[in-house]
Amino acid sequence: MLHTIIASILIVLLGWGTASWLTYDFQVWTDEGARRLEVALQPVNAPPVLIEGPDLAVTELSALLQQKNKVTIVDFFYTRCQTVCLSLGSIFQQMQAALLNDESNDEHTGNIRLLSISFDREHDDLPALKTYADNLSARPELWRFARVLQAEQEQVLLQQLGVVVIPDGRGDYEHNAALLVFDGAGRIVRIFDIEEYQLALDYARYLARKQIQEASL
Amino acid sequence: MNKRWQAVLGLGLLLFIATPSVRYAMEKSMWCHMLVQFPLWMGAAALLAGGMPARICKVIARWNMYGISGLFVTGVTLAVLMIPRVLDQALLHPEMELAKLTALVLAGMALRLSWRPAGLILQFFFLGNMLPMMGVVGWLYTESPLRLCNAYLLDDQIQLGNWLIGLAAVISIVWLSWITWLITYQEIRQTSHR
Repeated sequence: MLHTIIASILIVLLGWGTASWLTYDFQVWTDEGARRLEVALQPVNAPPVLIEGPDLAVTELSALLQQKNKVTIVDFFYTRCQTVCLSLGSIFQQMQAALLNDESNDEHTGNIRLLSISFDREHDDLPALKTYADNLSARPELWRFARVLQAEQEQVLLQQLGVVVIPDGRGDYEHNAALLVFDGAGRIVRIFDIEEYQLALDYARYLARKQIQEASL
Repeated sequence: MNKRWQAVLGLGLLLFIATPSVRYAMEKSMWCHMLVQFPLWMGAAALLAGGMPARICKVIARWNMYGISGLFVTGVTLAVLMIPRVLDQALLHPEMELAKLTALVLAGMALRLSWRPAGLILQFFFLGNMLPMMGVVGWLYTESPLRLCNAYLLDDQIQLGNWLIGLAAVISIVWLSWITWLITYQEIRQTSHR
């Protein structure tokens, strides 16, 4: 019986250890939660994939994000989307309005930019992105739209940033929509839920201020 | 069925469901992943365990009195595999997939070797823990407004949740009916012997 007791205790401990490892000490239960936690603990560099947009010449994404003192909030979307991207669009509109309001008050927060990247290369060509941006009255100096130039690079980008896109069988896509905050070194430092856009904005403001303070030291 | 044939059948089934195309097909949807792949792997492993040499069985039995350790293996494995992150990770990383499948094989074998030695009371205790867990996990899957797996659709998750709740109910009904039948049958036999 002693053997059985020892074996049982070992099995339970092993299971407990595995579960605790999988969930980062029972903090997260989903892969999305783990991805957000991992990014917060260890920032991830944006890959040097080529992107283009209506108000954007062909450039490397990493180069676009790597600008001194800048903070960029990025989302992934596609223009034909009827569901979550619509709310993403209106959230970005609200953030743009808040940023415009900021610029007149606070010089530091003038360093925040918005970037929407499409993952539907087949449909979202430059005119489609342009129309979409105009409909949302995006200001190119604040909020730009882009698409990845090459299909393979698009896969690399989505994979590195942990964006998973799955066709829903009705011609649309479902994806883990989120707000990705990049610092001036082109690293993704935080991921926020789309409902937490106020928090994402506040975090971006904090980061922008911190970057300037650190640069001036 | 002859024990050797069970093992052959189990091994054949394992080889078949381990082929990449069958694996992908079963992992295409969330409910299929959890409710077809998991039981199939466990079932094949249980058949395989049927053909285990008596010598090894004896050694295992020493560490597995009343099937307690074995039921722990199965219970703990299933509890860990119900964490939504496991499904995503298994799709993304081959080593996680391997670990998941190995765990399923061990759980299936352990269940086979432990179910009978456990007897009614321990079986009841085991099911009394596992089935409510399945039901609660299923309820969480149906009620969560968020997608718990990045790789699967929300509809799929709700479907899995409903199936989990249904399956938990069906297993408990089947087990209870079997117990009722067993007990009445024993009583009838006892009274007729008197």
